[in-house]
Amino acid sequence: MGKYVLKSLLQVIPVLFIVSLIVFILVRVTGDPVALMLPETATAEDRAVLTQALGLDQPLYTQYIKFLGSALQGDFGQSFRYGEPALQLVLERLPASFELAVAAMFFAIVMAIPLGVASAVKRNTFTDLIISGISVIGKAMPNFWMGIMLILLFSVMLGVLPVSGRGGISHLILPAFTLGVGLAAQMTRLIRSSMLEILSQDYIRTARSKGLGRMVVIGRHAFRNGLIPVVTIMSLQFTSLIGGTLITETVFSWPGLGQLLVVAVNTHDMAIVQAAVFVIAFIVVVTNILTDVAYRLLDPRIKYD
Amino acid sequence: MRKRQWTSMWITLLAVVLVLSACGGKSTGTDSNSASSESGSGTSASTTLTIAAATDIESFDPHNNNNTSSEAVLVNVFDYLIKNDSEQKKVPGLATSWEQVNDTTWRFKLREGVTFHNGDPFTSADVKYTLERVAKDSTLKQNSYFKNIVEVKAVDEYTVDIITDGPDPLLLNRLSKMGAGILPAKYIEDKGFDQFLKQPVGTGPYQFSKWTKDDRVELVKNENYFDGEPKWNEVVFRVIPEASTRVSELLAGGVDIAASIPSTDIARIEGEADKKIVKAPIQRVLQLIFRQTEGSVTADPKVREAIDLAIDKQGIVDSIAGGAGIVTRTSVTPGNFGADPSLYKTSLYDQEKAKQLLQEAGYAEGEAEMTISVSSQYKEPAEVVAAMLEQVGFKINLDVLEPSAFSERYSSKSFKEIFMIGIGNSLFDASNNYNRYMVEEAKGESDYNNPEVEKLLQSALVNMDPASREKEYQQVQHILAEDRPAVYLYQMEGVYGTDSRVNFQPRSDEMFYADEITPAQ
Repeated sequence: MGKYVLKSLLQVIPVLFIVSLIVFILVRVTGDPVALMLPETATAEDRAVLTQALGLDQPLYTQYIKFLGSALQGDFGQSFRYGEPALQLVLERLPASFELAVAAMFFAIVMAIPLGVASAVKRNTFTDLIISGISVIGKAMPNFWMGIMLILLFSVMLGVLPVSGRGGISHLILPAFTLGVGLAAQMTRLIRSSMLEILSQDYIRTARSKGLGRMVVIGRHAFRNGLIPVVTIMSLQFTSLIGGTLITETVFSWPGLGQLLVVAVNTHDMAIVQAAVFVIAFIVVVTNILTDVAYRLLDPRIKYD
Repeated sequence: MRKRQWTSMWITLLAVVLVLSACGGKSTGTDSNSASSESGSGTSASTTLTIAAATDIESFDPHNNNNTSSEAVLVNVFDYLIKNDSEQKKVPGLATSWEQVNDTTWRFKLREGVTFHNGDPFTSADVKYTLERVAKDSTLKQNSYFKNIVEVKAVDEYTVDIITDGPDPLLLNRLSKMGAGILPAKYIEDKGFDQFLKQPVGTGPYQFSKWTKDDRVELVKNENYFDGEPKWNEVVFRVIPEASTRVSELLAGGVDIAASIPSTDIARIEGEADKKIVKAPIQRVLQLIFRQTEGSVTADPKVREAIDLAIDKQGIVDSIAGGAGIVTRTSVTPGNFGADPSLYKTSLYDQEKAKQLLQEAGYAEGEAEMTISVSSQYKEPAEVVAAMLEQVGFKINLDVLEPSAFSERYSSKSFKEIFMIGIGNSLFDASNNYNRYMVEEAKGESDYNNPEVEKLLQSALVNMDPASREKEYQQVQHILAEDRPAVYLYQMEGVYGTDSRVNFQPRSDEMFYADEITPAQ
């Protein structure tokens, strides 16, 4: 086990190295930040001075070696836009994104578990049909559209929730719900099929024949085992929630990583794009390792070589 | 056994979350603050002004900012020596009077008894520090506007001489724009610039309270402001990039003023009893700039005239801009030095004559082929222009570029026959519009070359006599209206939604001077 963790951690290094190389190249071939930084009336001379000051006049490999050297010391360069260390700006935004991701995950779980269990237990009934229908719609609805509709309904018409920004719990409800719905739909279907499989197992039949009550059988015997695949999905989804909340964060002006990245891409703020992608990659890799470890703890039959 | 495994699973997940949120733990403590200030703004609307814009400020360094929405916020914190009033007339700011000593020296008398937000007195040392910093550090984004300042001499505590490298008729314009925001020399020397950026200090009517990036800037009243007590206890600038969210926030009452309202939402806001749309022309003219390089279709003056006549500018304003635009034949609009009102609020449109001109130029239907490059933000007007040009017999390739790709092609001067762009003018002077038509600057972009225009522009560049300088620019714009190195579509208008709680008259420079906005009684 300890050996496995060590090995996985060593694998993180080449992965992050490749990620850094790809991002570095992509960011540089897609445009020139100097053009966006100077006023329209700037002369060619002004541009040359700034290009040189930013070190962008040097060959790509020199720039990359410099970048890598500083990155190893935790320095991802200065944001052109804010003039502050890029990594610090990215890390400042993580709590907001985490808050949103955790809340979205919470919504998804709260919605998916009862719906998934109900539709498995009431398989092929009207209830099942309705729940399946809702989850298809939930999965198909674009985030930005749903966000805008929720704002119109709950904030503009009913006036019960704030429209946008980050503040207390009330600010969190709409964006977390928007983000959680797609995930909930996916989890509902997963719980349904996983529960169906378990409900047909021998030990469930045994439990029933022992005369245990319906709720006890479903709740204590079937449900717990039915959740195992859901945990997999949750860990995968959590990382994608962190990196993939761009649209939702923009709709709700949520000051998280997604919004920072959108602005950085639009303004060609190279250092921020690099740092943000790097941090997201790091979170994904580490979460994957932790998920593997969790499996090992959960099911001793899973072996790692 | 099962139960314990489940528990460990959850603990692992929880640990992941905790560890990762600890990475950025520094700013988590501020969450509750923003929540409380949010509820505060709801209960005492008359003392808090909330404005929503699409983009955040870049920083509290007025010298290293280059967007109008930054300046719109910073003008409340930092004062200039000279201010533009709402009609763009120069009025005293931190300087009470000024005079020209000779061609390259201006003398300014400074206001006495002014203090910075931290209590330091404002003196000539601050002016010297501020202007020499922006003039000398070429990595600052505002440097290109100020680099002609050679030295700032502190004559005495309340007098400074500003010396330029040559006659500069634009010095007063430069001193009343963002890069000239006066910084506290002593504070920065003592604490360093990083500390200044965290806790910025100016002399303005409002002082820094809090900045949550991409969310909000919070300012509070400066009780000791030299020009009387400020009107609002608190001014909050919110960042809401998504236009429909900005409109919703206004409709829900979360903000008093929302900027950049899309034309499609104008009717919706006007339909609400306590909301209003207000508009004002801004310093940006949408235009087509032509390449006149030998061999290109647009080198022929008849072709350029045909293009001008083929476009129904008023039609574009009415259909695409929701009425928020003013047609013009010059880019130097009223309020700018050198403007000529006879070319303003007017446009040419005659499709039949356009067709005829195209024939005279020797092109049959579909033979005159041109590429129009445009940034995606102006995609809609560009599509309409292309359709109008095709109606009279041009063949148009529309080249819509992502904004940063457009900027890059723009600065490398690599467009084909035509590019469409909205050009602003933060100096309020015709030179800003016309320098691009001087031979050296035009090389590779428009390749425009008219010796008469060149002579006038070169002279105006250093002409210290305002009256004759104004004449020169007016002459230039009449020649350009016939030469057509560019065809102007319309001057854009800023469209704002406001709540009836406030009286707000937008300015042509798009600034939000909080004290010009008053609570409605």
